[in-house]
Amino acid sequence: MNGLLAAPRAWIETFGEIAGFCGQVLGQVFGGRVFRFFGEALRQAGILILSSTLVICGLVFIIGLQCGIEGAYFTRGTGTPTYAGVFAAWCDLRELVPYAFGYMMAAKVGTGIVAELGSMRISDEIDALEVMGINSMTFLCATRLLASWMVLPFVYIASVRSGFFASYLAVVVQIHEVSAGGYSLIFWMFQNPPDLLFSAIKAMAMATVIVLVGCYYGYNARGGPVGVGTATAKSMVLNIVAVHLIGMLGTQIFWGANPRAPIGG
Amino acid sequence: MSESDFEKGADAPRDDDVELLAQDADTEAPELEAPPAGPPATVPSTSTDVASSRISVVSEPVARTDDEEFQWHTGTKHSVEGVEDAIEFLDVHKAFGRNRVLRGLNLGIPENRISMILGPSGTGKSVCIKHMVGLLYPDQGDILVHGESVPNMVDDELFDMRRKFGVLFQDGALFGSMNLYDNVAFPLRQHTDRGEEEIAEIVNARLREVGLGEANEMMPNELSGGMRKRAGFARALVLDPDIVLFDEPDSGLDPVRTALLCELIKEIHEENGGAYVVITHDIASARRVAEFIAVLWRGRIVESGPAADLFASENPFVRQFLSGESQGPLGME
Repeated sequence: MNGLLAAPRAWIETFGEIAGFCGQVLGQVFGGRVFRFFGEALRQAGILILSSTLVICGLVFIIGLQCGIEGAYFTRGTGTPTYAGVFAAWCDLRELVPYAFGYMMAAKVGTGIVAELGSMRISDEIDALEVMGINSMTFLCATRLLASWMVLPFVYIASVRSGFFASYLAVVVQIHEVSAGGYSLIFWMFQNPPDLLFSAIKAMAMATVIVLVGCYYGYNARGGPVGVGTATAKSMVLNIVAVHLIGMLGTQIFWGANPRAPIGG
Repeated sequence: MSESDFEKGADAPRDDDVELLAQDADTEAPELEAPPAGPPATVPSTSTDVASSRISVVSEPVARTDDEEFQWHTGTKHSVEGVEDAIEFLDVHKAFGRNRVLRGLNLGIPENRISMILGPSGTGKSVCIKHMVGLLYPDQGDILVHGESVPNMVDDELFDMRRKFGVLFQDGALFGSMNLYDNVAFPLRQHTDRGEEEIAEIVNARLREVGLGEANEMMPNELSGGMRKRAGFARALVLDPDIVLFDEPDSGLDPVRTALLCELIKEIHEENGGAYVVITHDIASARRVAEFIAVLWRGRIVESGPAADLFASENPFVRQFLSGESQGPLGME
């Protein structure tokens, strides 16, 4: 019986540790300590912009194409090809763009953080920071979180635009069963600015969790290079699960009660 | 886990600790719940000892009493006259799980001397260094730096206290994302209000001092092991620390470069003064630079004092270790 309970107990312990760690990092940001290292936060922001924007936008572009193609063929099947914009609008903004953003964040940014901090841990760089009198958690983790908050909303908006553009290309240019004006009318009718805000909140919640989980596993990596590899894999698993949980909860909270679909007057 | 636990590295053993623990595990009697102090519990020596409450599937060494284990540990301290201790360990115990690494360590590191903590691999030398700077905390006992208790410091006091230290880690621990110049300039940029020109002056002087004046722009992965150590040394010195710690500066270096690094340590100590603490098991290095030697084994000091006294010691363990002989109390166990 004890053996059966050991695994869930370990999960709960780990979850508790992660929650405690996240609380400390968030405390460093909201408490303003992170601003002692604002230069480092700016550097991390620059790295995020240069290394991740294009990749995220690229993936979302492909997802946007997919939403457009799927929407066009589905509405053709039901005899309403002019309503392809409905599918594209919801698919893009509410679901797949946040997911694609979350996937790429987890795969590129999250694992990157684990690998970088983990390598720093095993090569004594984090200890070196500490003995220089620098709070390593603030310097390494809080600055990354602040950088992601500064940069990722804009990256997300850019990726949404690339998704919208891709859907337009697929529906109007490639499949071409609806005119540009007809597509745009329906496309914009089925979304409004609050939807963009909610979508961005979903994506930022995902990004925050991904950065924090990455920091936790990297900062606490043990056991040499193998340990860093294991930590990277663990963080990826947890982040993918978290992305879906946040996606599901976000949809329930923001559009569950009121889908804001202008159907039937 | 509290904030301070995370910041201070908590109690989790690190890679080097694990290695150290693995070695200690062979020499110590395993216990289910080992207290930090006190004699080790008796355990079965072979798998046939099934009468005890545990089943042993491996051949374990026969447990020794404290008297047997510490028979060579006279704890004699040949004091350095007129010199106060910069760092003091007072009956420090530290265990990682069942493995007791420090087992009642009493040690004083004198001011303005190059001190060496010598001992066989896996006796707790690196753990000692981590206790000095508050990266690890003792389970029992106290560590004083200039009379202030490290375990009792709150975080801000601890970070302030650490500014007294410069630490050269085994592989230099240079930041991989910065070039050599930025690595050495980093502490100055973080802890002082100096302008870039002044910082450049200091950094270039330090880099020249360690023979890396032309390597400013190089990244850590472009440096050899010896260069990384020298760069780490320059970074450790850049804030003019009162205490400089060297964690096995000779590891991975050939004898010539080890000798050169030792000379460099001596020269810079003569210029700057302060308490230098070198962790090593290289006797040749000890002969070259040590002014004060402490021999550590099984988590306790066997003997400590001025280098000349230790090299003339009659203690069989100290004599065997400092002469590198195979015959004596120290075996392969």
